[in-house]
Amino acid sequence: MRKYFRELSVTGALTLLLLALAIFAPSFYSPQPLLSLAANASVSLVVACGMALVIIAREIDISVGSMFAVCSVCAGLLAAMHWPLAAVIAATILIGAIFGGFNGGLVAGLGLPSIVVTLATMVTWREGLQWLRQGQFVNLPDGVQWFGLSQKSGQWTLVIGALVILVLMALMMKHLSAGRYIYAVGSDAEVARLAGIPPKLTVFLVFVGIGALVGLAAIMNMVQSPQVDPQSGTGMELKVIAAVVVGGVAISGGRGNLWGVFVGLLLLVCVGPALIHLHIEAYWEKAIQGVIILLAVVAEGLRR
Amino acid sequence: MNTHKPAWKNVLLAHETILLVVLIAEWIFFDAIGRNFGTYDNTCDILRHSCEIGLLALAMTPVILTGGIDLSVGSLLGLCAILFGKFWRDAHMPIPEAAACTLAVGALAGGVNASLITLLNLPPLIVTLGTFSLFRGLAEAITHGVDTFTDFPSSFLFLGQERWLGIPAQAPVFIGALIFFWWLVHFSTFGRSYRAIGFAPEGTRYAGIPVGRRVAMTYVLAGIVSAIAAIIYTARLGQAKADAGNGYELYAITAVVLGGTSIFGGIGSVYGTLLGVAAIAVLQSGIVHALQPSEMAGMLTGALLILALTASVLPKMISRLRQRKSALRLAKQNT
Repeated sequence: MRKYFRELSVTGALTLLLLALAIFAPSFYSPQPLLSLAANASVSLVVACGMALVIIAREIDISVGSMFAVCSVCAGLLAAMHWPLAAVIAATILIGAIFGGFNGGLVAGLGLPSIVVTLATMVTWREGLQWLRQGQFVNLPDGVQWFGLSQKSGQWTLVIGALVILVLMALMMKHLSAGRYIYAVGSDAEVARLAGIPPKLTVFLVFVGIGALVGLAAIMNMVQSPQVDPQSGTGMELKVIAAVVVGGVAISGGRGNLWGVFVGLLLLVCVGPALIHLHIEAYWEKAIQGVIILLAVVAEGLRR
Repeated sequence: MNTHKPAWKNVLLAHETILLVVLIAEWIFFDAIGRNFGTYDNTCDILRHSCEIGLLALAMTPVILTGGIDLSVGSLLGLCAILFGKFWRDAHMPIPEAAACTLAVGALAGGVNASLITLLNLPPLIVTLGTFSLFRGLAEAITHGVDTFTDFPSSFLFLGQERWLGIPAQAPVFIGALIFFWWLVHFSTFGRSYRAIGFAPEGTRYAGIPVGRRVAMTYVLAGIVSAIAAIIYTARLGQAKADAGNGYELYAITAVVLGGTSIFGGIGSVYGTLLGVAAIAVLQSGIVHALQPSEMAGMLTGALLILALTASVLPKMISRLRQRKSALRLAKQNT
């Protein structure tokens, strides 16, 4: 019970918010907008799962937003070339994994600090994309939006897909040695090495993993609209890191789990729509999200 | 092993020296291929456009030296810019009074960061991520996302757009800040303690240095400097909007790290930061004058950052490889 204090307190906050909405603004619970919200959030959830692994391994990746934009545009271009959808998905995940591997190679191979490496790649990919595409939107052919299904079943596919990934990854972190390696490396890389765990390989693969997940998230975002926005994913890195931190993952590595990340993300994404339904100006969204992040760390600090 | 190297070699191979060579090479290159690049007018332009990020980078240097980071400076610039506009237009304060209040707001916001980080011992990355969101959110909430402050008096716009004694009017502010931070980091006992804290906070505390207060001071200074940068930004553009300074924190951090300051703290210099700011600013202006797409400047900055980092770890890696080789040779001889 004490061990999961953080996860439980975030769940408590989320429950309070949902209860308040049920009493003061029951219109929040109308099914169609709620499903759209969930479909949008599932994109962030997939990236947040990857980010949680990176932060548990005591690294950070602030290039996810730029990778997301690059993957989105690549996926859009491939789809526009009438590749079959399955091939587009596989290729985009591969592209994401390669970009992630580039970060991972610099961080694990050369031992460079991940915050600076990913800061550099964030700027480089974003500007490179802008240079090559000049901000052009990519028009998608028919049959790509919602995977060719109806809007409702497409949204359900996204939500269920994201939840499946969450469950699989949470099980991996708990029960597979790969997951335990990540915790070990994040707690103390040197001790992990002495225990026979390859810390460099682990860190490299964690970066490859978040790259692949970003690729998948780009697909999940692409199918929600008829066009691909080359600016998509701007500011995504901080939003996702915020969800991970609110969910109880320690920025110093080695602590946290994916259920907490899931609840933390839900809390942050519910703030915006909740404001609208409670008739508060939507411009407060960022400020309130900031306060939630600060409250989460302050609670953690006081408990220590 | 490094201690046996002659002093001139250390100076010659220092990060700052290499960066200076890169900067001079950039200048010569763009002067050769760009139109009107090396003119006095353009030099003033470069100075004018890099002033705000330069100020933020200067203030970021002591923060990173102590092993911290401040992601909130860009958002704070936005908040201060619109509060400055608010003080002047809606509270009918004269400009100097509004500026003083803005500086107070900056110090207060820096104090929020400082007290959360030092009193509660929270990680700076997360605290300033929270205030990054909070300050920008407050700016958006206060202006409802659309309100823009314009029509400032021309006596105020002078600070951002005119020349004073032949140099851009904001240059003296920047030079003043440069001298202050140079003194702070290199010629005061504070600077020594920043490096010590960056290396080993616990050890520094045992040495009798008030670590919390020293660290807190760097964040408060960053807040005040963000407010100064906000005023100059407003004067340069002639308007204040909630999105002012969006992304500036990352440019400032890039400049500091490019200037050779270790992101883990303990190592770094103000002149390195100055060179880092200059290298980025010259690159941006040069690319435009060479009629290349401006996005190339961003890409090259990123590449330069990775190259600079790689260059800084290569000697260490080579010496480690050499040690391993000689150890292997010794082992072979013994068997």
